[in-house]
Amino acid sequence: MNGDFLSLLPRHSVAVSGIERSGGPSPRLEGTTVFAFHCADGVLVAGDHRATAGNVVFSDTTEKILELDAHSLIAIAGSPSVALEMARTLQTSFEFYRRSQLQPMSLAAKLRALSRLLRENLPGTLQGFGVVAPLFAGVDATTGKPSIYFYDPLGAQFEAAAYAGSGSGSASVKSVLHYLEKWGPHPATLPLPEAVQLANRLLMTAAEFDAATGGVDPAQNDFATLKLLNRDGIRSFTRNEQAQFWQEARP
Amino acid sequence: MTDEPYRWLEAVANRREYIRDQLKDATPIFAVSRPEGILLMGVGIGQSKVFEIYDRLALAALGHSVDIERLRQTAIEAAHLEGFTRDPADVTARRLLNFSLCPALKNSFEQVFAAPFLVELVLAELGGDRQSDVLARVSYDGSVRYLTGPVAVAHPSSKSESAAIEWLLGQLTEDLGLREVVARLILAWRALTTGKSFIGPTVEPSIDWSIPEPGLELALLDRRSSSRARYRSLNPHDLA
Repeated sequence: MNGDFLSLLPRHSVAVSGIERSGGPSPRLEGTTVFAFHCADGVLVAGDHRATAGNVVFSDTTEKILELDAHSLIAIAGSPSVALEMARTLQTSFEFYRRSQLQPMSLAAKLRALSRLLRENLPGTLQGFGVVAPLFAGVDATTGKPSIYFYDPLGAQFEAAAYAGSGSGSASVKSVLHYLEKWGPHPATLPLPEAVQLANRLLMTAAEFDAATGGVDPAQNDFATLKLLNRDGIRSFTRNEQAQFWQEARP
Repeated sequence: MTDEPYRWLEAVANRREYIRDQLKDATPIFAVSRPEGILLMGVGIGQSKVFEIYDRLALAALGHSVDIERLRQTAIEAAHLEGFTRDPADVTARRLLNFSLCPALKNSFEQVFAAPFLVELVLAELGGDRQSDVLARVSYDGSVRYLTGPVAVAHPSSKSESAAIEWLLGQLTEDLGLREVVARLILAWRALTTGKSFIGPTVEPSIDWSIPEPGLELALLDRRSSSRARYRSLNPHDLA
């Protein structure tokens, strides 16, 4: 009766996500390049659509930015099977807590819940093929302030002051964001059209240097997965909306 | 003592009488299927009566608060486990009642040496359109009736309950907005709690919101929303 959904699962013989230790080689299926940064309207979380297995493109329509509840979302990088299951577990846990306890779970508790799942995935992490390094964005209910957090695969959590990135293509993204943070224009001051443009340009940059990152092509109406988080909740942007912003933004 | 059939029947009859006596002062709860969604209403002075269970499921209950809480937790646990192991679409009112809530209620009712659940409930499931909405009226003994009409009321007296449903079916025409629907539910609430008859002047010209408002609880399973969780609490002052 304490609102903990995870403790409910073993009582009903339901296995929790995570990979058991076993021998033998396995294909490494990976999702790549997600990032988040503060803009004038809140936190913008972006990702590409590609999942790869070795040098094979496994899927080019993967959703990596997942809404956990009305005020938190996760961006996944790493093994999609484990990451998607983690996201589903968290979704149910947060909703279960909110409904059974008649109050939303605090941001700190949500962060701990993700830490716990990452730690429980230790065998998969050690074997290398079940590694997940997610980003988390959430709104503090008392202040209404959105924040970005990033995790190492063992579950340590860090708050990002301005931006965070994860996945194989994130090095280029982080380099550019670091440059902008230091010498401007500051991403945190960008209005929505410019922020959407920046997110798509960052993804194009990442795709330029990382074969596993699926690029975007604004000319072909192909854009990133984008979600904006602020005190009002989560807003997703369709391709057409992004095309509109792309046109509106300063060149 | 209760191994004799006659004694057992007597024990069950006593139990019904005891439960009815315990519930006799409880105030009614309502659930109505509307084009906007399913509207639930209860008036709890210092006690909640309307609850979110799952994405498209809501519960309205009257009775002892501890019993309501136990059933609410049971329903929420069963719904979330089912939604997690299968899919949210597999969580339906019918399955939740058949496999979880009704057996629990019936078991507890028949354990004549343990305390029974002191509750009456309505479980509502939002469908894609009004025809596929489900309103289930559940009693303390675990019996369930799936209502064919768009109005569900739970009240300790079944006679008054039927009269209220009949009156509301006549009153709640298609063209009413949520505010007018709530006004009529409040009238029905007042008639039931004061023991007035449903015959006579039907609608008062001006609606007096003041009487039950301190504990007035309103919620809507919103048909027009695009989010997964459709339940939202309504503030009576915000109703258009």
